[in-house]
Amino acid sequence: MEITTEQIQTPSVTILRLNGDLDGSNFREVMKKAKELYEAGSRHLLIDMSQVPFMSSAGLVALHNTALLYGGKEQLDVENGWGALKATASAGEAGMQGQVKLLNPTARVVKALDQTGMLSFFSVYEDRAAALASF
Amino acid sequence: MILVIAAELENLSVIRHFIREAATALRLSPAAIDDVELAVDELATNIICHGYNGQPGDIEVEVKANGEAVEIYLRDQAPLFDPTLRPEPDLTAPLEERPIGGLGVHLARQLTDTLTYRPSAKGGNELLLTKKIDSSSPLTEEIPHGNHN
Repeated sequence: MEITTEQIQTPSVTILRLNGDLDGSNFREVMKKAKELYEAGSRHLLIDMSQVPFMSSAGLVALHNTALLYGGKEQLDVENGWGALKATASAGEAGMQGQVKLLNPTARVVKALDQTGMLSFFSVYEDRAAALASF
Repeated sequence: MILVIAAELENLSVIRHFIREAATALRLSPAAIDDVELAVDELATNIICHGYNGQPGDIEVEVKANGEAVEIYLRDQAPLFDPTLRPEPDLTAPLEERPIGGLGVHLARQLTDTLTYRPSAKGGNELLLTKKIDSSSPLTEEIPHGNHN
């Protein structure tokens, strides 16, 4: 999977662009990149999933974890994986919370989100300009 | 058609490719192929991560037709474990109250017509997934729009 980022200045939004199948072999890379962005100050994250033809529940873990991270909530420890949970350093403090939205997820990604009851947790946009303006 | 491959996460894409090829040859519909591809990926991921748990081993994938259904067998030599006994997750809980993960078996159940387990004759685990040749999961043709903007 190829992961690229783009920083938009106004409004301040980080676009995380995923390219390739998102599965158990690479979901930690997505979590790690999201954590790097958050720790660098990103608070508005738009995940471009237009080039993700396949996503397993491992991808759902990455999205769930990233949403918790940007919400200042507990999340999986990226380094130690499944069993280990740790809280963000200043979970819940003013100014620490952000938002994660999805741009153009493929039909199969939408279906996986829907079948696991996770679709309603994410605002989904088909238009990049509208997505950016929504933050 | 049989594939025997090392139980490594990097091989998930090989397993998915094999499933797509085999299911296509057995005339599953494109939507049903998508369903079994994801179901097998989920169960194979469980075998690799939780069954073998980092220890070396193989996964055997067998695909064959049985009347109006396609049968897919997943066999491994990991410690005995029946994933079909896993309780259904609470899909109504808020995001912050949900456990992270644990959705793979739920998806596999949703995407197949039957999912059964038995200890294999060789001493390991055997999962059998079936998919009717003319079936797909209910949401396949009608993609939900949920929280779209």
